[in-house]
Amino acid sequence: MISSLRQNPQAIETAFISIITFDSVAKQVVPLTDLASFQMVDIKATGTTCLGDALKVVSTCIDNEVAKTTADQKGDWKPLVFIMTDGIPTDDWQSGLEEFKKRKTAYTVACAAGSGADSNLLKQITENVVSLDTADSQSIAKFFSWVSASIGVTSTKVEDAGKEVTGLGELPPPPSELNIVT
Amino acid sequence: MNDVKEFVKKLFKNNNINVPAARVEIFDQFLQDEQNAATINIIIQNQNRLMAKWRLQDRIAEIMGQSVRILNASVGKSYEAKFDFDKFGWKDITAYEFAGLQEAGLRYDAKTKQITGNPTQSGDIKISFRFKLEGQTEDSSFNEKIITLIINPDPKSLWKNLESDKNDPHWKEDDVTVFARIGDRHILASSKRGRSHANVGSFREDDFAFKDLENGWSIVVVGDGAGSAKNSRKGSAIACNGMVDYFMEGSSVERLQAFDELLHRFQENRGEETQKQINQFVYNHLGKAAFQVHKKLEEFAANEGLHLKDLSTTLIFTLYKKYDSGYAFLSFGVGDCPMAVLNSDLSEVVLLNWIDVGEFGGGTRFITMPEIFKNEKFATRFGFKLLEDFSYLILMSDGIYDPKFVVEANLPNIKKWQDFLSDLSGKNEDKAQVELKKDNKDITTQFSRWMDFWSAGNHDDRTLAIVF
Repeated sequence: MISSLRQNPQAIETAFISIITFDSVAKQVVPLTDLASFQMVDIKATGTTCLGDALKVVSTCIDNEVAKTTADQKGDWKPLVFIMTDGIPTDDWQSGLEEFKKRKTAYTVACAAGSGADSNLLKQITENVVSLDTADSQSIAKFFSWVSASIGVTSTKVEDAGKEVTGLGELPPPPSELNIVT
Repeated sequence: MNDVKEFVKKLFKNNNINVPAARVEIFDQFLQDEQNAATINIIIQNQNRLMAKWRLQDRIAEIMGQSVRILNASVGKSYEAKFDFDKFGWKDITAYEFAGLQEAGLRYDAKTKQITGNPTQSGDIKISFRFKLEGQTEDSSFNEKIITLIINPDPKSLWKNLESDKNDPHWKEDDVTVFARIGDRHILASSKRGRSHANVGSFREDDFAFKDLENGWSIVVVGDGAGSAKNSRKGSAIACNGMVDYFMEGSSVERLQAFDELLHRFQENRGEETQKQINQFVYNHLGKAAFQVHKKLEEFAANEGLHLKDLSTTLIFTLYKKYDSGYAFLSFGVGDCPMAVLNSDLSEVVLLNWIDVGEFGGGTRFITMPEIFKNEKFATRFGFKLLEDFSYLILMSDGIYDPKFVVEANLPNIKKWQDFLSDLSGKNEDKAQVELKKDNKDITTQFSRWMDFWSAGNHDDRTLAIVF
């Protein structure tokens, strides 16, 4: 995903990426890093699913790392948030969602990977929910290549738009492995 | 001797052989036997050799599994990254070599413990780091660890320049640069399609217009069509030309004539009252112009079956006229495009508008938004300035403002404008020079070249109009 994103000139000059994992705890494993310097880390799915905690962590990270426009500071573009989960939250996810809703994102896409995840629940987090029938490495890879294409399109759109992309309709068509949850 | 004894005892015990008290003497003799002593020695040596071999294997496996990250490189950018054995805990490496570095345009400098060079090709480069450890013999083969080095492509090489579709009904030229007389001055203006649009073959969405009007007035207009709006290129064209057309209408010419009298009164008596009358005049007259342009966009959208927001565009304009006592500037602006006048000795900058910037990048406002006209800040969008003389009147779209001024706080700073002018006169990376003189025959070529300056991440359409 990352190497194809590096081929997009707009992305390599403007995009920053951060990774937050959540199992029994949520933690930011890669701080917001410019695409040119970004290095992927190994992620393993283990333990429980503290989605609420993850939403809180992403909220704090947005507060701390996404710059707002002031007279002496150039603001960043609104962040795009991609959430992928293979399970049902095991913590108080609603309180996390409350925090997350207070932050402005250009858009948020949630992906329910495999039968263990609840796409209806994800619908409460964002309008834009997709699901994968199986959470195998091939389908997940397809999801991420679509994510990277979306970042490519959006970093252009948000940039010269002055207005954000809001629905999945404005993103590249998802691969066949992805089901759009309506 | 005691060590040997303990060693053999343990060995025997592991094999269920006990040496009872009654046999101790014989056992001692057994150990002292020359042949037996030699055998024991061999056993100990073999054991030590075996353990050393295992430790080596274990250590190699440890180094192989160790996550080694080196800074990403970029093609065309000189690279320098620490690759310090001590930091990795590799004090036991006795010999090493790299393979694959040279092909990538890099080399390892043992003295500075750095990988340096100028990467020539992008990709996830697999570098083979071959090493030998303490304990390995000289003739043993190297152990090989693969380290991935990410080399980013040079973004400059990735931007494509695809032509826009000339058959599109709202097509406009990708690049325009003009030089002309305006009033008692000259205007140099350029509008260029940004790389982000050229990369996908879409259109330039910026636009500009200028004109000498009746009674000594001149007008300069700049509009920046929104990237997200599908017909904003038409929106900015309608807005710019519509504004000029408005001020050419007979009724507008007549109304503007009244300004002469107002200004005369203002100069005779610079009081609150006369200032208020002028402000009122500017508000009424330019406000009407802005609203007419908004209506024009609305009509066009309705006729073409478009939404008004499909034509989203920012709009800034300045009307100016030379009087005996100096120049009067009347202005209006919606969006993130600044307008400024520099005084004759470049010691002062007068801003003609404030710019609409949002909390996040890209946020701005457009003349197509009906709420603009109802907002309490509407009255503050107008400006009136009277200056004895001026050197430059400058209007620009955010494609110039973003890379050159970056933040609002820089706009009132004359130093930044002086820097901007020296940038124009050649103080830049490409040494692109624009000689702002009316008899410069190459002025449009020079300006067009300057407009193509490189600024990472700033690839929006660019429009810049300079009256001098």
